[in-house]
Amino acid sequence: MKWVLFIPELWVLLMSAFFFGMSMAARPNPRRDYFIALFFAAAGVIVTLIAVRMEGTLFFDVYRVDLFSQVFKVMLAMGLFLIISLCSELNGIPDFRHHEFYLLLSICTFAMMVMVSSVELLTLYIALELSSYSLYILVALRKDHGTPMEAGIKYFLVGAVTSAVMLFGIASLYGAAHTTSLTDLVKVYPGVVDQPLAFIGLLFTLCGFFFKLALFPFHVWAPGVYQGAANQVTAYIATATKVAAVALLMRIVTLGQSSIPLVHILVVLSIASMTLGNLVAVMQRDMKRLLAYSAIAHAGYVLIGILSMSPEGYAGAIYYAVAYLIMNFTCFLVVIKVADDGRDLQIDQLAGLHRRSPLLAMALMLGVFSLGGIPPTIGFTGKFLVLVAAMQKGYFYLVFIAMINVVISLYYYALVVKAAYLLEPEKELPAIILSPAVRLLTVAMVILIVAGGLFPGPLYAIARAAARLLV
Amino acid sequence: MVPMDMAFAKFPFLSAILLSCVAGLLVILFIPEERKGLIKGISAIFSGIALVLSVIIFFAYDKSLGGLQFVEKLPWVASPCISYFNGAGGFNLPLILLTGIVHFTGVLTMWELETRVKEYFALYFLLVTGVFGFFMSLDLFFTFFWYDVSLLPMYPLIAIWGTTQKEYASMKLFLYLLAGSALVLPAIIYLFAKSGLNTFDLVALMEPGTFTPFQQKFAFIFLYLGFGILAGIWPFHTWSPTGHVAAPTSVSMLHAGVLMKLGAFGILRVAISLCPEGWQYWSGLMAVLATIGIVYGVLVGLTQKDLKYVIGYSSVSHMGIVGLGLSTVTAEGLNGAIFQMFAHGIMTALLFSSVGYIYERTHTKMIPELGGLSRVMPVASGYFILGALAGIGIPGFANFWAELAVFISAIEVYPIGGIFAICALVLSALFMLRVVQQTFYGPKNASIKHHLPDISFGQGLPRMMLAGVLLLFGFFPSLMFEVIQTFTIPFMEGLPR
Repeated sequence: MKWVLFIPELWVLLMSAFFFGMSMAARPNPRRDYFIALFFAAAGVIVTLIAVRMEGTLFFDVYRVDLFSQVFKVMLAMGLFLIISLCSELNGIPDFRHHEFYLLLSICTFAMMVMVSSVELLTLYIALELSSYSLYILVALRKDHGTPMEAGIKYFLVGAVTSAVMLFGIASLYGAAHTTSLTDLVKVYPGVVDQPLAFIGLLFTLCGFFFKLALFPFHVWAPGVYQGAANQVTAYIATATKVAAVALLMRIVTLGQSSIPLVHILVVLSIASMTLGNLVAVMQRDMKRLLAYSAIAHAGYVLIGILSMSPEGYAGAIYYAVAYLIMNFTCFLVVIKVADDGRDLQIDQLAGLHRRSPLLAMALMLGVFSLGGIPPTIGFTGKFLVLVAAMQKGYFYLVFIAMINVVISLYYYALVVKAAYLLEPEKELPAIILSPAVRLLTVAMVILIVAGGLFPGPLYAIARAAARLLV
Repeated sequence: MVPMDMAFAKFPFLSAILLSCVAGLLVILFIPEERKGLIKGISAIFSGIALVLSVIIFFAYDKSLGGLQFVEKLPWVASPCISYFNGAGGFNLPLILLTGIVHFTGVLTMWELETRVKEYFALYFLLVTGVFGFFMSLDLFFTFFWYDVSLLPMYPLIAIWGTTQKEYASMKLFLYLLAGSALVLPAIIYLFAKSGLNTFDLVALMEPGTFTPFQQKFAFIFLYLGFGILAGIWPFHTWSPTGHVAAPTSVSMLHAGVLMKLGAFGILRVAISLCPEGWQYWSGLMAVLATIGIVYGVLVGLTQKDLKYVIGYSSVSHMGIVGLGLSTVTAEGLNGAIFQMFAHGIMTALLFSSVGYIYERTHTKMIPELGGLSRVMPVASGYFILGALAGIGIPGFANFWAELAVFISAIEVYPIGGIFAICALVLSALFMLRVVQQTFYGPKNASIKHHLPDISFGQGLPRMMLAGVLLLFGFFPSLMFEVIQTFTIPFMEGLPR
């Protein structure tokens, strides 16, 4: 009965199999497909929630199911559901490709679910590639607007290079430690940590996930891909894939627990990433590009928690991942609803939003201030926990630099709020009518953002329990 | 330090105050935009509740008992230990009362607002929630939490409803204040991490011996500069005059009246309480900056043509007096500083609300374009003149006692700085009287219409309250001093010499 452990993944796989069949057999019918996908995704969330307390190993111990992996699977299923709930008007994707769209989205989610559970480097690598390839295609699927092909190829090229680097890293790790199983590596690695081969191996392996997280210096794809892909696809890349990357970074970084040079490198990357992301974001005019640079900055913040390498740090990073999923999704929700024809949204085009849709304007304000880390939002609590963990390790300067970055970032976040609340559009635009379901979703997001800021207790307790399994 | 006595609350007055603001905010959010009258009515009711409650706790505080009273404590996060921990004592009661008064009068002052009323009052209530929360919180996490909550609404409030250079001023203010919080947060987390107690409980962290002298000196300077930005300490004050000028009337009132006190209170509550040795070490620097602030504010104020700028710079100068009081490291200095926070808050609120009225009617706040205004609007002019007299420190107003207490101790501790400060005060009398003379007396400016309506009784109500409070504490300063002393005297006795 061990297969019960695999049910969340199986469910998502079933969803992709279903859409695979549909893509060959059925005529596209956007409305119907949307509801089918929504059903699968919603049931997926329920299934993962049921499976959250399961524990055990599968496939000759290369696959571990525990609270840590299950928490991330819930986040991934949540991410899939949220993104699909925004696909009711999927104007960025040609109609006849909708089946493929849902197929690739679910395959990618499946791959990432496998990723967060696998404790064997090769399984991990294959899952990572599967998710990457789905995304390369998804990015290029867009129609009518932007430069999807360019974005897709750029994403592919950078991705291919990093995956080669990562493979090299895995090979070196194997060379040094004679095993690819993370469970064994944890025991063997501290003994070989001083060998250059082992160190390079670990660092290069991490690079694969730096790429997913858009961390400096693997960030170059982010602005182009964010802008070039369809809005829903960008939203997916910006939320779900980051969550998986955070999980895997934590899992692999635990190997280097005792390595001080590794910490130094991570500190440098974290500082470079947040500083570069925030400084360049100040100049952006396109909303999605702005969010891309803000994602680069956030990769730096979340790395602060990870590089603390303490249970508090990991718990903080998990909390941050949840926060990031929620607040970033809220921003994309607004982008998708305002640019309902699937175009790229300029910041100026948010003008008059407070009259066109007060609810969306409020959600946007909370979303960006949460990204900026101002209480009472979930983003503040996440940042706070991460910084506390870093300070407990004595990284005062890192915390200080992070806070300076927060101030820089608030400048451009405030500009977004200003556009939504203060600027008037050149010509009067019609009000944005939201369906009751979207309205409910937006209100739920607003409540989640505020509740996560006001009552961090329960979620943080889960994050701590999950983080304890890592060390 | 003498451990603080704690008396738990029978009725959660402090939470009730917070709740009245949150409830007001939520109720306003659910009223349709068009029902402007209803929104204002609801705002007045909820702010009235907050006012009544804050008056009650101010007078119900048992001065013979001292220590912390009305304490409420709820565990919030298990590890690291964060608790929802509120309490009132001599250090924050005056400020809670101040916030209650300015909050209520601010709502009444904005009675004539017509544009985007719902959003305005919603943000205004959010701002006040943060301010109340900050003053009553005894947990470091929540202290910072409320501090930032109160900064967040400032940006939209000024950017949307403001006037002169509003976009520039709001962004500058927002970034300056957040830069302040960027200095404060690392220091708070640093103290948390170094204490080894795994708690954000301020009272627990205040135990003597928790921090080494070096840690205290190190953290103190961050906290002092961080909170100091909000307190308008020279040379970090430049956001304050532009911000005050741009803000709509009630936001100016709240901002100059209450928000700047947040900074000074933060220095007292977090920096001085947790790092007393750092305080003694850096007190010289504090005194120098404060004195420069007092003199500089007055001198720059002398050249201003805009009435609101005049008040803005006088705020810089008056907040310098608070800083000077804090820098003396004496009980009298602290008494004066806390009293000055209260008195200055009420006084600036009165000034800004009078200018707001004058600006609404004459559509100018430039001194050369006014003149002889007391012939047209004797009552409105009267309120401004009252406020100006209080600002100069005329006996009979609360400010007199506060400034007296600060200057007496400042002269003892820093003779040179104290003399400079007193000279500046004389100059400030000159400059305020000049403003009063040019604006309200002398020949009437031809551009002012003759039939401008004066403040009616209803509109005058908030100004009357403010003026009344100034006079009440001016004639009975012991009402205030006795409350403040329940904190300052045990606190100073507990300091290591």
